[in-house]
Amino acid sequence: MKTVVLLSDARHAISGRATLSGLEARAISLAAALDPAPRGLHAGGGAEGVSAGLGHGLQGLDVLDLPEGADPVPALAAHLQAALGKNDAPGIVLAGRRGEGGLETGLVPYLLADALGLPILADAVALRQGEAAGTLVVDQAMQKGARRRVTIRLPAVVTVHPLAPPPRPFAYAKMRRGEIRFLPTAEAIGDTAGGGNGSGSGEERPHRARPKLMRTGGTAAGAHNLHVGPEPEEAARLILDYLEANGIRRYGDTRG
Amino acid sequence: MSRPRRDPRGERATKTITAAGRIRLDVALRAARAAASGRPRRDPWREWAASLVDETHRKRYDRSQRQMSREEAARFSTVRDTIEATAISPGQPALRVIEKPAFLVFAVVEAAGGRLSRFDRQVLGAARLLADAGDGGGAVVAVIAAGATAGDAARGDDHETGLGAAGADRVLVLEGGASPSGRSAAMLSAVEGLSPRHVVFAEDGDGADLARRLSVCLGEALFPAVEHLTARQAVRALRHAKAEIGLAPPRLMTIGEDRAKPYEAIPCEARRLDLGPFAGAGGTAARGDDSAILSVEIIPGDPARLSLSETDFVVSAGNGVSDFTAFRALAAKLRATPGASRVVCDAGLMPRAAQVGASGTVLSADCYLALGISGAPQHLQGIVGCEHVIAVNTDLHAAMIERAGLAIVADAQRVMPALLKLLGEAGA
Ligand SMILES: Cc1cc2nc3c(=O)[nH]c(=O)nc-3n(C[C@H](O)[C@H](O)[C@H](O)COP(=O)(O)OP(=O)(O)OC[C@H]3O[C@@H](n4cnc5c(N)ncnc54)[C@H](O)[C@@H]3O)c2cc1C
Repeated sequence: MKTVVLLSDARHAISGRATLSGLEARAISLAAALDPAPRGLHAGGGAEGVSAGLGHGLQGLDVLDLPEGADPVPALAAHLQAALGKNDAPGIVLAGRRGEGGLETGLVPYLLADALGLPILADAVALRQGEAAGTLVVDQAMQKGARRRVTIRLPAVVTVHPLAPPPRPFAYAKMRRGEIRFLPTAEAIGDTAGGGNGSGSGEERPHRARPKLMRTGGTAAGAHNLHVGPEPEEAARLILDYLEANGIRRYGDTRG
Repeated sequence: MSRPRRDPRGERATKTITAAGRIRLDVALRAARAAASGRPRRDPWREWAASLVDETHRKRYDRSQRQMSREEAARFSTVRDTIEATAISPGQPALRVIEKPAFLVFAVVEAAGGRLSRFDRQVLGAARLLADAGDGGGAVVAVIAAGATAGDAARGDDHETGLGAAGADRVLVLEGGASPSGRSAAMLSAVEGLSPRHVVFAEDGDGADLARRLSVCLGEALFPAVEHLTARQAVRALRHAKAEIGLAPPRLMTIGEDRAKPYEAIPCEARRLDLGPFAGAGGTAARGDDSAILSVEIIPGDPARLSLSETDFVVSAGNGVSDFTAFRALAAKLRATPGASRVVCDAGLMPRAAQVGASGTVLSADCYLALGISGAPQHLQGIVGCEHVIAVNTDLHAAMIERAGLAIVADAQRVMPALLKLLGEAGA
C-alpha cells in the first residue's frame, strides 16, 4: 500500500532551527510498517530539517518549492491530486495532528482532505492493513487509554497522535543515501498565506505565560464521612457504594 | 434581614455644600440617609452558617465561596431547618432561567459515559462567560452528540449529568450517528439553523476533530487551543509558546484543558431544545467519508496497563499492606490502575513506575483509593488533583484519613478480601 507522509516546516523548540517534527517521525515509523518504500512530501523552502525523515525510514522525499510564508495547502493538494490520478496512487496520506513551531492549528490535514475529497481520521496510534484489499484498520486514541478501531476504505488521510509508538532510530547513512526530488510548483499557487489558519486579524506578540487552573480536589466531598472500626464487609460495602455513587465505576454490570 | 445597604459615598455627596471656597459638609443633614443603593445587605452570620460543613467533632467551614449545589442546598435545609436554603444569597432565584436569549453560545461537550468531565465543565464555563459578556442575555447551548451513551443521559434526567449546574441553559442532542462526518454534518446544520455567536469546543479528542471539520465545512477560521479567555479577548500560543495572538473572542474556538473556570453559580435550567425545522438538513454538507468507514469498534482501555498519569482510578498500597497478591487481585477486580507509596517501591514490592507522589507520578485521576498509606506530604502532593479520595488505615489520625472523602479506620488486610468477595458476588 503506497504511503505518503506529509512533512511540515517544524522548528526546534529551543534553537528555532528547521527540524523534523516528532509526530511526523512517528508517522514515518507507522508508514514504514505498511509500505516498504514510504515517501515524504514537504512544501516549503528547502529540505533542511525534513531530510532527517530519510534517516528515520523514508525511502524518498519530494520537496515542492514554495516561497517563505506561503500557504502549503494548494501546492500539496495539486501534487497529491496528480499522484492520485496515476497508476500507483498513494493509498494513505499520513500527517502529524498539529504542527510544531509554526501556527500549530492542526488544520492543514483537514483542508487537504477537503480539497482532495478524501475521508480523514484523526489521532491514530496504530495502523494495520485490513482483511479486505484496499482497507486500513486505524486505532484512534481516546481518553483514559481507550482505543477506537475504525476500518476505513482507502485512499484516506490519517493524522498521528503523540501516543503512537516512538520513531525508528535515526541512521545518518540512510539519510545520505535517500533521494530528494525538488519539484517546482505551478505559478498560480502562491502567497495566500494564512487563509483559514486561525491567525486571522490578530497581531503576534511575545508570549506571556499564564497559569493553568489549579486542580484542587477535596472540597468536593461535602460531608466528611468517617467510619471508625466498621466490620470488613460493611467497609467493603461503603467503598463500593461510594465508587458507584460518584460514577467512578459500575460493578455488577459489564458497561463499567 | 434585608436592610437596604447604605451608600456612604452617595451620602457624602448629598451632604456637601458647594459654596465658594473650600468644600464643606452639612453633617446634620438627615435627608442624606435616604440615598441608599438598591442592593440588600450581606448577612455574614447567615453565610457562616451556610458554609458550615461538619459539626460532628469540631466545626469545619467551607469558605471557598462556592454557591451551594442543589444537593448540598437540599441537605443543608434538612440539617438546619431554621434557615431557608435558597435564602442564603437573598434576592437571587434558585434557578436561572433565560426565556428569550439575545444570542446563543454553543458548548460542545463529550459527556463520556453520561457524566460531564472536568474538561466538559470548563468548556461550559467558557461558554457561560461568553454568554454573559457585555450586556449578557445570551444562552448557553450544550451540544451533545447522540450515539454515545451521552445521548441517553441527556435524554434522561439532567440531574445526573449536571448540565444545568454546569451552566447550560439549553441542551441540544445531535442525531448525526457515530461517524465523525455524520457528527460534523449534524453540527453544521445546527450552526446554520441556530446561528450561534460563538461555538466552543474542547481541544481534545473528538471535540478537536469536530471543530476542525466544522471550520473546513463552514470555510471559517478556527481559533484553536485558547489559553486565556475573557469577555474581551481570546489568546492562544503559537511557535512553541514563544508568541501569542489575542483577538476579540472569535466564532469558532477550541479551549485548552484547565484554561477556563467552570461555572459555579445558580444552576441554569438545561431545557431540551427541539431540533425543529433544520433536523433533516443534515445532508447538505455530507462528505464522501461516511461510506468510506466500514466498521467502528471501541476497545476500552485496560487500566492495569495504563500509565498512572493517564488513568482515572488508582488503587494504591502503602506500608500498611502486606498481602500483595490480594492487592493485585483487588486492583484488577476494581478495574483500577495499581499504585504504591515510596516505601513499598523502595522495598521492591511494586515497580518504581507505580510510585505516586512528588518523586513519582502526579496523578490526574478522578478517584484514589489508598490502602494503608499514612499520607506524607510528598505523597499527598501526588494526589492534589484527585476529586475523590478513599482511605483505609488503622490510624485515625493519619493525614490520609483527613484528606479523604470517605475514610475508613480498619485493617486493610481484612478489608481487601471482603472487597474481593463483594466484587465476586456483584460480578456473578
Ligand atoms: C525527598 C522525598 C521525596 C519523597 N517522595 C515520595 C513520593 O513521591 N511518594 C511517596 O509515596 N513517598 C515519598 N516520600 C516518602 C514519604 O515521606 C513517606 O515516607 C512515605 O510516603 C510513607 O509511605 P507509607 O504511607 O506507605 O508508609 P508509612 O508512613 O509507614 O504509613 C503506613 C500507614 O499504614 C497504616 N497501617 C499499618 N498497618 C495497617 C493495616 N494493617 N491496615 C491499614 N493500615 C495500616 C499505618 O497506620 C500508617 O498510617 C518522599 C520522601 C522524601 C524525603
